Amino acid sequence: MSEDTKKIYEERLGRYQAAIALEPVDRIPIAVGSNYFAEVYSGNTNQETIYDPEKWLKAEEEFVRAFPEIDVLRNNRIYAPMLDAVGCRTYKLPGRDLPPRSQFQFVEDEYMKPDEYDVIINDPMEFMMDRWLPRVLGELSQENTARAKMALIKGGMAQVMMGEVMKNRALHLQNKFGMPQPMQGFFLAPFDVLADTLRGLRGILLDLYRHADKVQEACDVLVDEMVNLALATADPLKRYPIFVPTHKACFLSPKQFEQFYWPSFKKTMEKLIDAGYTIRAYLEGNWGAHWKHFLELPKGKVLCDIDTQGDIFKAKKEIGHHQCLAGGIPDTMFILNTPEEMREHVKMLCETVAKDGGIIINGGCQIPYDTKPENYRAMIDAVIEYGTYDTSIKPTPKDNSQSGIKVIEPKMLTPWEVKKEELGGVQGDEDLIRSSWEMFEKMGYAWVWQWVL
Amino acid sequence: MSSLTELGKAIVDLNEEQVYSLVKQKIEAGEAPLDILKECNDGMGQIGKLFEAEEYFLSELIMSGEILKGVMKELEPLLGESDMETSSEGKVIIGTVKDDIHDIGKNIVVTLLKGTGFEVIDLGVDVPADSFVQSIKETGAKVVGLSALLNFTFPQMKAVVDAIEAAGLRDQVKIIIGGAPCNAEVRQYTGADYYAKDAAAGVKICKEIYGTK
Repeated sequence: MSEDTKKIYEERLGRYQAAIALEPVDRIPIAVGSNYFAEVYSGNTNQETIYDPEKWLKAEEEFVRAFPEIDVLRNNRIYAPMLDAVGCRTYKLPGRDLPPRSQFQFVEDEYMKPDEYDVIINDPMEFMMDRWLPRVLGELSQENTARAKMALIKGGMAQVMMGEVMKNRALHLQNKFGMPQPMQGFFLAPFDVLADTLRGLRGILLDLYRHADKVQEACDVLVDEMVNLALATADPLKRYPIFVPTHKACFLSPKQFEQFYWPSFKKTMEKLIDAGYTIRAYLEGNWGAHWKHFLELPKGKVLCDIDTQGDIFKAKKEIGHHQCLAGGIPDTMFILNTPEEMREHVKMLCETVAKDGGIIINGGCQIPYDTKPENYRAMIDAVIEYGTYDTSIKPTPKDNSQSGIKVIEPKMLTPWEVKKEELGGVQGDEDLIRSSWEMFEKMGYAWVWQWVL
Repeated sequence: MSSLTELGKAIVDLNEEQVYSLVKQKIEAGEAPLDILKECNDGMGQIGKLFEAEEYFLSELIMSGEILKGVMKELEPLLGESDMETSSEGKVIIGTVKDDIHDIGKNIVVTLLKGTGFEVIDLGVDVPADSFVQSIKETGAKVVGLSALLNFTFPQMKAVVDAIEAAGLRDQVKIIIGGAPCNAEVRQYTGADYYAKDAAAGVKICKEIYGTK
């Protein structure tokens, strides 16, 4: 990285980190998490974006050149060939099941039966391996066949490839354009694990009446699994927040939320914060009845994206003094309105909710695919014109690499100690053998759980 | 709520076991299956009202639907064919537009409409414009509801409105759009008649159109 690029990278990262921490910033960061617009800005089809890493990178390069004022650009997304390798059933993909220019879509189904709660509670990994994966990954459905075994091999190889692609692209954006990531690593709220890809929304809502205790128990068990997945995929240098989309909270009554959703979600986030991380949480749908609970977490640790259905003014009043917020621009404004209207809207936000900082002006958890470029340009120009607080502040990144008060041991199916005993001890340098054994164990463990997203 | 019977109240309380045991008792006592069904439907109507008042949420709607399904399993064999034809407040066609496969929001509206007494023609998800046109011709419904979760489907909503216009049916129907990304501007863009900000608002609009306030 050249000195100039390094300087701009640090300025952007510092600005983003300071905003999340509710510290003074020179100006509002331009820091969307999911920039769908950037993925297709070059004229790519959505299919090309998720199937061809080169084309995706080209799209992002073109985007950064056109909008150099942005502070972060996301790179960790779907790599469709990996989904194909294992026959993942939870997504419909552009170009495969949908027109090439449409958005990939999540498909919900009941992949766990209501009488299986005890199985997942007693041994989550066994449940995932023996029951859930063969149901969700179509190529694994004919168990103990050559095809199913081959699918697992292909899936593991695809994972390594995807990891390389993502890492290199992030490094490229960092080293060539000085562009940080808005988030790295991911997890789900334990309730959403159950509600998205295990029981489905309908199933889980019925379970709240018929198996309430089991739902709570399963959520508690899933806390450590989600902490493990988050840490396995997070930035080891702790520069970027860990991402959590929240899917089903908006369908719950406040009472249900407090009983079933929040306790295990809170525990998961507390562990990650204790481990030295920040979190970027998409509060999808309207969280107005629920978001007050973010006051219970340490200040300035969770960046909360307020969706278009949520009220940013209410959010600012209720939790904005404690956690940084992102949002304020309705998604439709990017698609249907004019640059003048965008400018006026951003100005209004800067003069009201964003007046004292603590807000990243943004769409609702995203910038839409069909965004008009002139509207995006108008947003950026208005943020810079009206959202600059104090140019004497020089943003610098935090050194988080040593932060965190608790070390959490990664999960493994077959720990080294077990293997060593089977071998009857080793003759040479044990650490040389152990470190690689554990690396693959950790990768394999995370591979299994990533499919819940 | 006071006019509800014990069975109706058990439905509103989502007390599954009590509902089934009451229905069983009534069947054994020789009560008319249609009367039993009416008691249940009154309870369902109350649940719809509690949902509109934001006292009940999605889980209550789904659970009540599930309980009613269980009740119907008992009652259906006892009901004559003529009993099944209930009078309707009006017909409503509804579907999630092409290229969007999400149905949670649409299903909430369907449940509420049925609970209010409307006959619902549910075209499902990923519905092409032609299917809406065809359905209007076949059913003569006066209301068409278009649902979407994804904001890139605005042109698809517009395509439905345009197709209805092109088929010469625009004057016969009122078109309502709804779903998370919709607002007044989307309504204007698509040329629909109404935008419903939530499921309860959608039901209110249907009532207005059919004059059944």
